[in-house]
Amino acid sequence: MSSPKRQIAMVMDLNKCIGCQTCTIACKRLWTRDEGMDYMWWNCVNTMPGRGTPRDWETMGGGFTAGDARPSRIPTRGDFGDAWEFNHEEVFFGGKGSSAHLQIKGEQPDWGPNWDEDQGAGEYPNAYYFYLPRICNHCTHPACLEACPRKAIEKREEDGIVLLNEDRCRGYRFCMEACPYKKLYFNETRKISQKCIFCFPRVEKGVAPACARQCPGRVRFVGYRDDQNGPIWKLVDKYRVAIPLHPEFGTEPNVFYVPPMSPPRFDENGEIDESRPRIPDEYLVSLFGPRALEALGTIKSEVAKVRGGGKSELLDLLIAYEWKSMFGGFDRDPATIEWTKG
Amino acid sequence: MQASFVSERNLDALLDPAGAAWRNVPRTELGLTGTPLGLQPTAAIKASWADKKIGAIDRVDVAALNDGQRLLFRLEWRDPTESRKITDNNVFVDGAAILFPTVPDAPLVLMGAKGAPVNVWYWRADEDAGNHIVAEGFGTTRIVDRDRVRTRAAWNDGRWQVVIARDLRVDSPEPVANVQPGAPAQFSIAVWDGANSERAGIKAFSPVWTDLTIEPAQR
Repeated sequence: MSSPKRQIAMVMDLNKCIGCQTCTIACKRLWTRDEGMDYMWWNCVNTMPGRGTPRDWETMGGGFTAGDARPSRIPTRGDFGDAWEFNHEEVFFGGKGSSAHLQIKGEQPDWGPNWDEDQGAGEYPNAYYFYLPRICNHCTHPACLEACPRKAIEKREEDGIVLLNEDRCRGYRFCMEACPYKKLYFNETRKISQKCIFCFPRVEKGVAPACARQCPGRVRFVGYRDDQNGPIWKLVDKYRVAIPLHPEFGTEPNVFYVPPMSPPRFDENGEIDESRPRIPDEYLVSLFGPRALEALGTIKSEVAKVRGGGKSELLDLLIAYEWKSMFGGFDRDPATIEWTKG
Repeated sequence: MQASFVSERNLDALLDPAGAAWRNVPRTELGLTGTPLGLQPTAAIKASWADKKIGAIDRVDVAALNDGQRLLFRLEWRDPTESRKITDNNVFVDGAAILFPTVPDAPLVLMGAKGAPVNVWYWRADEDAGNHIVAEGFGTTRIVDRDRVRTRAAWNDGRWQVVIARDLRVDSPEPVANVQPGAPAQFSIAVWDGANSERAGIKAFSPVWTDLTIEPAQR
């Protein structure tokens, strides 16, 4: 696999995500409403610490250890939380609107795509959690691509977007096993695997992916990694505050995260305790590696600088005063484009 | 092995693995072997299958017939689990295929090679239509059509009985195998056990070409 000429990338600032799932629904409405896609959430947002989607994906294996492929398993529909069916007909069209309530049909589920939402960890008054939005990482070394015996997955030369060719795919699902982030989905109706496409038809027309553009919290930055005027290079390379999730998986993701800062702790007397953060350092390190603490250190010192009356390019960028500045030039309004369904 | 001539021309009757046409046809037992781990085409597949058995089905009974127009194979093997439908992401289906060289000495173990294609007549338990496939090496299978290869299958008491048929000769721009009565032919068999997550190159196959004689029509 040759390196792409350029790599498009995304940065998500976890300090801003409010878990509203607007990104999730934007993606669902745009891409995963067809036959066999009911259980797919190419974009998901989970509460951390939590088991995630699919359930316990972080400990499933896949990816690489020291360059060697790591065995894993294929997540089941149940692991993903499946797609619940509701008694819409009965409530809305069956004349029982005042007697029947909306409920899940058939067997009651014991897991869903966001089952442990807002549970988090820690004990009152020091409970903590944060939200973690996830899409396909469009990796530099995609485990899915390398696992496929049919070369059905390609990394585009022009922008590094990783795409699955549905005509070449035979539904073998080696990709699902190999991806350590568990971001591939099997379509039982079409007998092929499917995944996030980084909204490439939008990107090709200068429009940011739907999950990024629809985000009300200004969480997501988009752009080319090497664009020194754009937000990605500044956050990832210049200030080094945006880092990949589980770098030890060895796939070199091109989705990066600004790790979450902690609210203050309280001691047993109810006094603010500054001696350690509420989200344990070791937990953040387990997710993002040791660079998580460097990133937080950089942000803290910039905050101190601004509080002392100074200026901070980094904080201005993270605050995103200019919405359009977040998209590295991919800021065209999709409503002004004549879209055709291919 | 011989594909004896039968005067029965009714395709429905010939496709029935329990039909009268097959009743007294001699069966040849072919030993199958799992595809070698070292030949699996990607590191991920090798890592995943390093400690697992590849090729759960170790033998298959083969019989063959021809009616002057079609060549038919009847395969029977023991498989305690009927895997007919993909019911989850980690569920795979049973399958079987006949492989033919399209040029002398096309490499069987490698699924053909560039310029030396193999032709596959493929049945899988979740599809009614047989797949007519050409390959020139690992990962290159392409479906030529879905209407020329006819299949029918039944699973009873832990055994699959599958008939796979195609015209002896077909007109196709693709490098498919055409065979004729009286001329020598060769084939190999592959079987996938869905319960063992077998798919793609994870399968059992007869590792050497089996010679086949197609008996000319009896007048």
